[in-house]
Amino acid sequence: MKPFEYLRAADRGTARRDAAMPAAAYIAGGTNLLDLMKLEVMQPERLVDINRLDMKSVETTGEGGLRIGALVTNSDLAAHETVIADYPLLSRALLAGASGQLRNKATTGGNLLQRTRCYYFYDTAMACNKRDPGSGCAAIGGATRLHAILGASAQCIATHPSDMAVAMLALDAEVEIEEESGETRRIPLREFHTLPGDTPHIETVLPQGALITAVHLPAPAGGTQIYRKVRDRASYAFALVSIAARVTLEDGKIAQVALAFGGVAHKPWRDPEVEKALIGKAPSRALFDTAADILLADARGQGDNDFKIPLVRRTLRAVLTEATGGAG
Amino acid sequence: MAQTINTEVTRVDARRKVTGTASYAADSIPAGMLHGALACTAVAMGRIAGIDTARAEAEPGVVAVFTHETLPDYKTVKGFYAGGPGSASFWPMEGTEIRYAGQPFAYVVAETAAAARRGADLIAVRYEEDAAQIHMDPGESFIIGAGEDSEGMTLTKGDIEAGLGAAAQTVEATYRTPFQHHNPMEMFAATAEWRGEQLTVWMPSQSVRTLRGGIAKAYGLPETSVRVLSPFVGGAFGSKAGVTPYAMLTIAAARAVGAPVRLIVTRPQMYTVATFRPETEQKFRLGADADGKLTAFEHVEIAQTSRFDDVVNPGTHMTRSMYACPNIHTEQRLARSDTNSGGFMRAPNEMQTFFGLESAMDELAWKLGMDPVELRRVNDTNRHPVKDVPFSSRSLMESYDAVSRSFGWADRGREVGSMTDGDWLVGYGCATATYPTNMSPSSARVRMQGSGHAYVELAAHDVGTGSYTIFAQIAAAQLGLPVEAVDVVMGEADLPLAPIAGGSTTAASSGSAVHIACTNIARGVAEKVAAQKDGPLAGLDPAQITLENGVLKGPGGESQSLAEALASTPMGEIEAEGQYRHPALTDKALRMTYHGGYGVAGPVTPEMAMFAFGAQMAEVHVHRYTHEIRVPRLHGAFAAGTWLNRKTAHSQLMGGMVWGLGSALHEITEVDTPRARFLNANIAEYLIPVNADVRELRVEMLEERDDYVNPLGVKGIGELGIVGTAAAVGNAVYHATGKRLTAIPMRISDIVSA
Repeated sequence: MKPFEYLRAADRGTARRDAAMPAAAYIAGGTNLLDLMKLEVMQPERLVDINRLDMKSVETTGEGGLRIGALVTNSDLAAHETVIADYPLLSRALLAGASGQLRNKATTGGNLLQRTRCYYFYDTAMACNKRDPGSGCAAIGGATRLHAILGASAQCIATHPSDMAVAMLALDAEVEIEEESGETRRIPLREFHTLPGDTPHIETVLPQGALITAVHLPAPAGGTQIYRKVRDRASYAFALVSIAARVTLEDGKIAQVALAFGGVAHKPWRDPEVEKALIGKAPSRALFDTAADILLADARGQGDNDFKIPLVRRTLRAVLTEATGGAG
Repeated sequence: MAQTINTEVTRVDARRKVTGTASYAADSIPAGMLHGALACTAVAMGRIAGIDTARAEAEPGVVAVFTHETLPDYKTVKGFYAGGPGSASFWPMEGTEIRYAGQPFAYVVAETAAAARRGADLIAVRYEEDAAQIHMDPGESFIIGAGEDSEGMTLTKGDIEAGLGAAAQTVEATYRTPFQHHNPMEMFAATAEWRGEQLTVWMPSQSVRTLRGGIAKAYGLPETSVRVLSPFVGGAFGSKAGVTPYAMLTIAAARAVGAPVRLIVTRPQMYTVATFRPETEQKFRLGADADGKLTAFEHVEIAQTSRFDDVVNPGTHMTRSMYACPNIHTEQRLARSDTNSGGFMRAPNEMQTFFGLESAMDELAWKLGMDPVELRRVNDTNRHPVKDVPFSSRSLMESYDAVSRSFGWADRGREVGSMTDGDWLVGYGCATATYPTNMSPSSARVRMQGSGHAYVELAAHDVGTGSYTIFAQIAAAQLGLPVEAVDVVMGEADLPLAPIAGGSTTAASSGSAVHIACTNIARGVAEKVAAQKDGPLAGLDPAQITLENGVLKGPGGESQSLAEALASTPMGEIEAEGQYRHPALTDKALRMTYHGGYGVAGPVTPEMAMFAFGAQMAEVHVHRYTHEIRVPRLHGAFAAGTWLNRKTAHSQLMGGMVWGLGSALHEITEVDTPRARFLNANIAEYLIPVNADVRELRVEMLEERDDYVNPLGVKGIGELGIVGTAAAVGNAVYHATGKRLTAIPMRISDIVSA
């Protein structure tokens, strides 16, 4: 581990100022960052500890939604009464992630910034454009069972590991940030994470030094909510594929639908065309397969992960069948 | 006599372990200790072209940086598969040569562990890289032991082609098993302290005598100058048996810097600096007549090995011991690739081979239209299929019958895909478990005080299995004492000879030595009081005198306290040694054990075949849409002679079944083929079962008496529970889905692609 300077921020202004210095990083739960520092995958010279900042509350907003402080732990958020009642897929996604001990430490803001679990990113003996821009991607042509089938580039085929972010994407969440200047603004989660392109080391649109202060959920949209995580081990494993679904039926037809996908891309994936194809239609296996065709039109396997393409199709069929009461 | 054997006894060290007062090897911190760290190669094959240690040496806290050019007095030993105590024949840092990825090329000593680690990361190294191949090519395999008689690796009995020709049904199938790593919770560690020519090494070990012997020989020291201490071991599974480069580098570094040095190997480095389970291919050709009786049995095992060792763990020895068949052909083959040498990992000969054999038997049962349990019954035998000697005991079908009852085997749907539970396809599968009973020589020393307290001492090991407890139980039973009155001292090479904690030998072999030592003590005390000039027991037949709760009693109710009986002995105590040697143990095997090797009698002696048996049944659910594979029920029934401690034995068997489940569904060391490198080198990405994967797991322990194996009638059980689990799961997957998965782990991707 590279030696680093540790600063404990007493207020948000100090935190932003300290984090604006070169090679600085915020630390909250540290469940991912500390591992990466020990392996020298990440080598911040300065850690700004934000755990004492007042960002630990969950509040109802004037719009009838929820404002989740960036330091609310995954455990607390999963157990929050309003979340369980009005956003059940978020609670389920959180509980599907990591282990009890990790969820007690991991925070809402930190979870959005989790790094990929790509083996090649973790092994500093391997070329990785995400860890070391310009060094290449050893994963391509290597062991790719866990890698992306959508939106990958010739520079990076990694996936985003978060369950929480997939659920929040299906819930139309917004990320509240404070810029270095102190200005506050909200970024829709669907615009927050980026595709790898030629800059896989850049994973979000978060400006340097900016602080995630909260996540906003809009007023509850109701519907049947499902979070389905598919993995080889029954617990404490990252998703091969996951789907967050919110479906409302009216008169036997799909009136509203939101579908977000995990384990398939560099970011939590949502495709408006898929949802458009479902709205106003009566659920059927053929309809679900049409939705899958649209979703997977540009899907491309790397060899080991080819199975993810049929797996997404099959999981979507399972989720939509369950959400619509057995039409599949 | 107190009933302490075949009861449930809580581990005597349980409280110490859960309260953190059990001191593991790396917990010992000699005064002035420095910290070591390894730097390991990024490439798998080639040469070190240059190393620049300047930045590492300039790092605050770094004391020394050693490379192949600068580490003085670094000694190596012969590899295990070349007849030595080493984990491999090729030793890193003897020169510039690189033979595997993650090979140590520098050793940093620093004032703190963090500075040592940082120093290792700051070393700049240049490579001349050559192409490397990490997977074996089965087409390039070579045979081991060809042309030898039936003692050898490769064996032919009868005419396999004729047997296949006469068969009503045949199965020809190939099964594959992956690279696996042991991943004990306790990291590899070594602490070395030199005082002149006296060396002390603290190191978690499955064989303190192997370690001491190897180190002493390498340094030309008498064994009395080398102390090796391994009081507790936090899991080993075969990974802590040999003399490893990380240990010898630490010993050399400590000598070079003139201070004690402790190295704790990092988790990723644990994947390359020691051994692993090699990948294998298991090729079977089976033939059976219409009644299911085997007419042909062919098994060819191809296992991966390094370029510098023939890592041969003969699994065909086990499979050909299983079922009656007139025509048998087995071959043991190896195929080389560019890795460090593999070795033994829990059930090293059995896990892979029984995944293959028991899957093939299931395929045969389906072809014959037979109940797979009945197929095993038809081919059960009370004589060894090759050596034609009787089994000393064999409760295979008793195990099947017991597990069939507890599992409800008769209730299964007879057709593939005939059972469902909501969106889950349901299948049942069964498989045989077996493990050889290998008997090592062992000694033990026991000292009993007049106060009724006993001390048992031997150079055996508790690798987390409960050895401390069962030796206390054995002594307590023989000395008429409560278990709490016995202290067991182990894990030190200076103590009386005990074998490697491997091959499930410790309980049976060293337990026999403890039993004999305690028998000698009990007899010694009885003879002593009988020989008294006067006293309540004087003149009685010593054989009629019993010892119970510190009191010696004669047949007529005469009694004398132990304290009185021992009052006149020096220190008021009596001491005896027990030496155990199975009658069939050869002198050569005995000598091998003296030198820290693995010398055993069995499993097949000139008179008898000694194996433990069991049967496993799995209920598997495969999701109709997602193909997730879950195992809601796993039942096993086992018979292994005397159960010494029903609680720890149950844990061993249950732990074995969980381990087997991991092999079935999760465990694989992922490989980067282009760079010949192991990838998922941490326990977040190297999956093993978690609680959610282990649902109803039932272990039934059958009674079995075996007077041949050893005085206590004990068979080893540390590995038995693993064997067959993967096949039982795979057979149930077939029953549920009609898909025959021929490689482990069996994962979602395999069903999607099948």
